[in-house]
Amino acid sequence: MNAIEVSGLTKKYGRVEALRGADLSVRKGEVFGLVGPNGAGKTTLIKGLVGALRPSGGEARVMGLNPLKDRAELRQRIGYMPQSPALYEDLSARGNVGFFGAAHRTPDLRKKVDEVLRFTELSERANDPLHTFSGGMKRRVSLACALVHRPEILFLDEPTAAVDPQLRSRFWQTFRELARGGATLFISTHLMDEAMLCDRIAILRKGSVIATDTPRGILERGSTHVMVNRDGAEQEKTIGGRPEDLAAALRPYGLESDVRAIDVEADSLEAVVLSLIEKEEVG
Amino acid sequence: MRRMFIVAGRVVRQLLRNPRFLVLSVAAPLIIVYFLKIFFDTLPPTFDVARYAVPVAAFLVHFLAFLLCAIALVQERTAGTMERMFINGFRRTEIIAGYVLGFLGLATFQAVAGLSEAIWLFELDYDEETLVTLFVVVWLLAIASVMLGIFISTFARHEGQVFPFIPLIILPSVFLSGLLVDVDELPTWADWLGHAFPLFWANDVIQEVIESGWKFEDVQSSLAVLVGYSVILLLFASLTLREVE
Repeated sequence: MNAIEVSGLTKKYGRVEALRGADLSVRKGEVFGLVGPNGAGKTTLIKGLVGALRPSGGEARVMGLNPLKDRAELRQRIGYMPQSPALYEDLSARGNVGFFGAAHRTPDLRKKVDEVLRFTELSERANDPLHTFSGGMKRRVSLACALVHRPEILFLDEPTAAVDPQLRSRFWQTFRELARGGATLFISTHLMDEAMLCDRIAILRKGSVIATDTPRGILERGSTHVMVNRDGAEQEKTIGGRPEDLAAALRPYGLESDVRAIDVEADSLEAVVLSLIEKEEVG
Repeated sequence: MRRMFIVAGRVVRQLLRNPRFLVLSVAAPLIIVYFLKIFFDTLPPTFDVARYAVPVAAFLVHFLAFLLCAIALVQERTAGTMERMFINGFRRTEIIAGYVLGFLGLATFQAVAGLSEAIWLFELDYDEETLVTLFVVVWLLAIASVMLGIFISTFARHEGQVFPFIPLIILPSVFLSGLLVDVDELPTWADWLGHAFPLFWANDVIQEVIESGWKFEDVQSSLAVLVGYSVILLLFASLTLREVE
C-alpha cells in the first residue's frame, strides 16, 4: 500500500478551480516533493490530504484512510507544518510544542518534547517566549510541533520559505534523518535546488500534476547544448538531456587532437520544469 | 474532556503572559466607570444615580468580554493556529469549551472589579443578598458575552471584521435593553427587539434588585433566560465554527 494515493482530486472556490483533477501516489518512506509556481495549488492539495478542506471531487487516501471521514484516526498518524509559523507568540517553544503534542495522546509527552527540542536544536531557548525568536527559529519550533508525536507521514508546506541557506541545509539533513527512520515526507516547494534533494517530485501546474518522476528523470526531459571547438571552428548542437544522448553526440569526434575544447551546458531543473509548464500551456 | 482542559490551560497561560491584554480588559472598565462618576457628579442632585450606575458597569463588562473573546478567537484563525489545532486532532467542542473555561476567569474578574468599583464610587448601599444577586447577574452576562464573542468570531475572517458587529449588536442593546430608558416607553416592536439582547435580561434583574423589597421569584425567569442565552449561543457557535474549508 502506498502512503498517499490521489486520483482526480478537484477543489473549486466559487468559479476558481484550485485543483483540477490532480493524480499522484507516494511510496512509504519516500521524500516526495510537490513542485510548482505560486498559485499552482500546492497548499490546497496538502490541505486536502490532511483533511482541512473538503474536495469538490476525486479521491485521496493517506495510509489507506479517507482524510475527511477518517480524520480522527488519520490526525494521530500525520504531522503538518503549515506555510506560516501558526504558533502562539506569547508562549515559549516548549509551551507550543507541548500544546500541540498534547492533542495526540502522546505517551511520555514531557520526554518527547525535550527530545524534539534537542533534535531541532532549540533546547537552549526552550523556555523563551516565541516573540523573541528569529523567523528561522520559529520555523524550527513549527517543525518541532509537527514532529513531537512521531508521525508516520509529515506534510511540510514550503518548510524552508524565507530561511537562510545554512538553516535550509540543516532542515534537509533533518528531513533525510526522518526518512531514514521510516517516515514519509511530502514537501511542497518552489525552490528547484530543494526539489533536487527529493526522491521523486511531482510538478503541479494550475491544479494538475503534469509530470511525476525522480529529479534526474525530470532533468533528462530537458536538453543539453554541446559546443565543440574543432580546429578553431565552433560547432553547436542541441541534444537530449540523457547521458546516452551526450555520448552519442560526442562519438563522431572520437576526441582527436583537433578537438580543442568541449563545452556542455545542460538545462537546469528549473529550466526543464518551466519548459514542461510552457508546453502544457501551449498544448 | 482532557483536550478541553488543555485548550483552557493554554488560553489562561496566554492571557497571563499578555499584560497589555489583561490591563486593557480590566483597567478599561474601571477607568470608564470613574469617568461616569465624574459625569454623574455634574447632574442635579435629583438624578437617580443608582438607576444607571450598575447597569452601565454591567454594559462595560458585556462589551469588553464580547470584544476581547471575539478578537482572540479571530486571531487564532488569522495566525493559522485554529487550523493547526484541528489538524492536530482538537475537536470543535473541545476548542469552544476550552475557550469558555479560559475566559471564564477573566469574565469573573471583570464582573467583580467593575461591580465593586461602581458600588464603592457611587456609594450604593445594598444588602448582602442584593450584592450577591448583582454579582451573579453581571457574571452570567459576562459569560453570555464570551459566548456571543465566540459565535460572532465564526463570521469574521480577520480582526477588522469583528468591528461591524459592534454597531449591529452591542450599540442597539444600549438603547433597546432598558439601560437608558425604560423599555415600557419604547414602541412595542422596539420593546420586543430589545428582548433579543442579553443586556435586556441582565438589566431587568438589576433594576428589580436595586429596588427594596424584591424577591428571588421576581428575577429567576430573567436569570434563567440569561443562562439559556449562553447555552443557545454555545450550541450555535459549535455549529458554525468551521473545521473543514
